[in-house]
Amino acid sequence: MLLQARGVGKAFSGVSVLRDIDFNLEAGEIHALAGENGAGKSTFIKILSGVYSHDSGHIELDNKTVEFKNIKNSELAGIRTVHQEINLVPFFKVYQNIFAGDEIRKNFLGIDYTDDTLMIKKSREVFAKLCIDIDPLSYTHGLDTSRQRIVQIAKILVQNPRVMIFDEPTTSLGEKERAQLLEIIKSLKSQNIGIIYISHNLDEIMEIADRISVFRDGAKVGSKDIEECTKTSIVSMMIGKKEYVLYSRKEKPDPEATLLRLEGLTNKKLKNVNISLHKGEILGIAGVMGAGKSEIARAIYGIDKIEHGRTYLKEKQFNPDIHFSLNNRIAFVPEERQAEGLVANFSVEKNISLAYLNSFKRGLKIDSKRETATAKEYIDTMGIKTAGPGQAIKFLSGGNQQKVILSRWLYGDFEIGLFDEPTKGIDVKAKEDIYRLIGKMADNGKGVIFFSSYLPELLTVCDRIIVMVNGKVKGEYKTGEPDVEQHIFEAMLSGGTNNECPD
Amino acid sequence: MNAQTESNSADANKGEFFRKYGTVLAAVVIFIVFSIAAPRFLTSKNMFMLLRQMSILTIISLGFTFVMAAGGFDMSIGYSIGLVSIIFAIVMIGTGSLLLGCLAALIVGLLVGSLNGFLIAYIGLPDFIGSFAVGSILYGLKMLITRGNPIYFDDNVSKVFVFLGQGFVGPIPFPVILMVVYAVLTAFVLGKTPFGRRIYAIGGNSLAALYAGIKIKRYRFSTFIISGFSIAFSSVIMTSRIASAQPLGGEEYLMDAISSVYLSTTMFGEGEPTAKGTFIGAFIITMLTNGLTMLNVPYYFQYITKGVVVILAVLISVTYGQKMRVKF
Repeated sequence: MLLQARGVGKAFSGVSVLRDIDFNLEAGEIHALAGENGAGKSTFIKILSGVYSHDSGHIELDNKTVEFKNIKNSELAGIRTVHQEINLVPFFKVYQNIFAGDEIRKNFLGIDYTDDTLMIKKSREVFAKLCIDIDPLSYTHGLDTSRQRIVQIAKILVQNPRVMIFDEPTTSLGEKERAQLLEIIKSLKSQNIGIIYISHNLDEIMEIADRISVFRDGAKVGSKDIEECTKTSIVSMMIGKKEYVLYSRKEKPDPEATLLRLEGLTNKKLKNVNISLHKGEILGIAGVMGAGKSEIARAIYGIDKIEHGRTYLKEKQFNPDIHFSLNNRIAFVPEERQAEGLVANFSVEKNISLAYLNSFKRGLKIDSKRETATAKEYIDTMGIKTAGPGQAIKFLSGGNQQKVILSRWLYGDFEIGLFDEPTKGIDVKAKEDIYRLIGKMADNGKGVIFFSSYLPELLTVCDRIIVMVNGKVKGEYKTGEPDVEQHIFEAMLSGGTNNECPD
Repeated sequence: MNAQTESNSADANKGEFFRKYGTVLAAVVIFIVFSIAAPRFLTSKNMFMLLRQMSILTIISLGFTFVMAAGGFDMSIGYSIGLVSIIFAIVMIGTGSLLLGCLAALIVGLLVGSLNGFLIAYIGLPDFIGSFAVGSILYGLKMLITRGNPIYFDDNVSKVFVFLGQGFVGPIPFPVILMVVYAVLTAFVLGKTPFGRRIYAIGGNSLAALYAGIKIKRYRFSTFIISGFSIAFSSVIMTSRIASAQPLGGEEYLMDAISSVYLSTTMFGEGEPTAKGTFIGAFIITMLTNGLTMLNVPYYFQYITKGVVVILAVLISVTYGQKMRVKF
């Protein structure tokens, strides 16, 4: 056995995130890891690569117990990770990147210098083995993403790894490049390398993996040979048995009153997206990271350009633009609360009044009494925990910050809400609060599009869910129907390679 | 989290106090030291002189406060003030009209502001590089126009003009009155109006400002226009005070204005420059020059002292500010 983990566990400040993981990997095997976000895959990988230490259990490499104190330890033992982000120096030549940090040196008359000839030769050998035509002397910035990814793999291969971990390696690759990369990964098996493969794309996993281990809620649900699996059985293992109770709502969406309609929306990231939103409806947009969720919100709000397609507000065509959105009461809660949503140094009240500041004008001045009074009102109704309207928002917890941003738009009496991952990074109780608030907004006749990569929350809050894969609409589902979770998961996790998409 | 903040001991309160008032406290200490060490320092005559000395710097710095509040920077200040002065003098002498001279000064100030604003806000050049390059152009223009020679006014120059920089209302020098009026005006615009609020929002988080519907390019552009206006305004006063236009005149105001506004950001714990803070900052910088001169400290030591004071002030505020940031 090349790599073996027994009973590995990990807790962060008392909260167990990984329990009793048994895992093994043979040389020349591709072993896929699957699971929802937060299931524990990445924690496990980080333990193997020495980022975290494990609290319990033990790990064996070549039947010898190992303990990695840091990343260097794990790398020296031969475990290497191909990260999702490509971190190559753009203005280095390819071979310089391959050996960056591990330059081959030689000594001449007591002077230590890099042996470029040897490094170039070794780079050529690696590419020849992979049957890829990349010139080690070309500049890295001239290569496309898939070739940069291959350079990243080559960088690891020259270190003679025993175990390679691939973390979503095919993200942002086109079809042809994806196929090429998968071929390369398969070819590594013949070099007797053990491969751990993480992907949201079940089609990919079915195509290249020998075995699969499924994680759920910090534990391993099971390991199976890939021949025994179907996409459906994998998804069942991932989600387990859960009950979702829809939040009760007073009012039903009005299918006659369309607030917003997108017709063939296309831009750099989106392909022919057709969506409509009705009065009093909460529409969920699901998809894995990079599926094009945020891009829809940004296109409607007027941040990203639209190349083709039309947008209609109450059946009247419009050209998305931030000022149009504000004037027509379209609200946008961005995914990155800190970077895009709030002004950290501003007080709670200043953050609330920011978008519709002119309405607070009295003469030339901002009517600060009314501003404070308005803020107090929202602090009460939204249940924002703060020392007062004058406290700087940076001192509030994530959930309370998000409530402030929602207040900003509620003050503008928005009609259409574009909420991109509104519960990202906030605690469970605040999440519940936000679901309830969004439900109330819909009861008041507002239309909300709820973008999230966390399916359970969409299943409890939304009336309808649209699944995005690779910038396309993959399918539409009504919540509350039997097995809807299974169907949505399968849609989310299929690679968009098969042509079931309605385009 | 609130409870945690509140429960922090007296130690944190002390930190909070220094973070807010450390700079002001330091200024008071320096003021007392000067008052004891230099007998002529704390006299009403010298105090009025100090106020007059600071008036030009304050007006420039107040304009610069808008630029920095929006997260920008302006390196062209030192050169634009001289160019405005020269063109003002040429037009005034050529036409014999103070009004036309002021108009010319205004136009040049606004043109410089527009050029900076256009390059930085609309084209997207980094503030330092854009305004630095503009400064270089202005320097060249100054030299091209004057060939390095100062321009003097003749004796029968307009009395109103002389009054602008040298006049008194009772015991109070006229520039001091102009400075106070301008400070009150900018404090109002920055602190009380939607315009000022949006400027701070852009400086605080330009993306959040953009998504809240603020036209950030237009606002950033306007901060440079205000800076240009302030330069035109202060340049006319400066020209009157020295009764001539000097080709190298006003270059020292770059460093002094940066110092004043930087000191401003260290005051009241806001981390953002305010009109009030800039006023105090300009006072501190001028007081250092004034007091050290009275102690017969050579000018080169004054430069060293100013540099050290600015570094210290920023360090103090960053130390306390940094702690806050790490914690949350």
